[in-house]
Amino acid sequence: MSDEVRIQEEDFSIEEEVRRLRASSKKIGAVVTFLGTARDFSEGKTVEAIEFEQYAGMALKAMKQLRQATLERFDVVDVRIVHRVSTMKPGEQIVLIAVASEHRKEAFEACSWCIDTLKETVPLWKKEITPEGESWVVPHP
Amino acid sequence: MIRVLFFGMLATKTGTREAELELKKQGATVSDVLDEVRRRFDGFPDGPLLFAVNEEQADLSSPVKDGDEVAIMPPFSGG
Repeated sequence: MSDEVRIQEEDFSIEEEVRRLRASSKKIGAVVTFLGTARDFSEGKTVEAIEFEQYAGMALKAMKQLRQATLERFDVVDVRIVHRVSTMKPGEQIVLIAVASEHRKEAFEACSWCIDTLKETVPLWKKEITPEGESWVVPHP
Repeated sequence: MIRVLFFGMLATKTGTREAELELKKQGATVSDVLDEVRRRFDGFPDGPLLFAVNEEQADLSSPVKDGDEVAIMPPFSGG
């Protein structure tokens, strides 16, 4: 079963994801990763935890399409995308994008485009839990 | 019957995650679904809104037929 793209509650290991990415080809000369983590402060408020809601059927499909689009748009060898959807405390890992290519430039560009496009195309919503209550996050451009 | 799904702040505002509605009109679109939702849920937010029909991104002019699943979504905030 292919697991290059996953939405899951449990935490992930960057080392393990990078190991699997590198195992996909001997042509790889560069690996770039983006790790999104939970902050304890947002828009002037203390954040105790964050929670994600997903449109279950569509979110995974959109993330798989995103991986495919990244592979087609950039000269890269492989891409892995993992996003968590459980309740996360500040400091916890939320999302990992790992891109492998022959040369570093393509991997940097593809990784940056991939996270920007994930934010626009994957139906996930973040809720912040603060001492004053819960609020849905309005995305920043 | 059309199954309408609400997510994020829209589910909070409507107090439900889904609703069923019937569209009598021939050649109905997402726009007709949204009109019906606005009639049913007072104070439904003006937007910005995103839409999907059967798990594929759609817009206000996308066709909707009996048995479809229409998602009305606030802007995504993943990552």
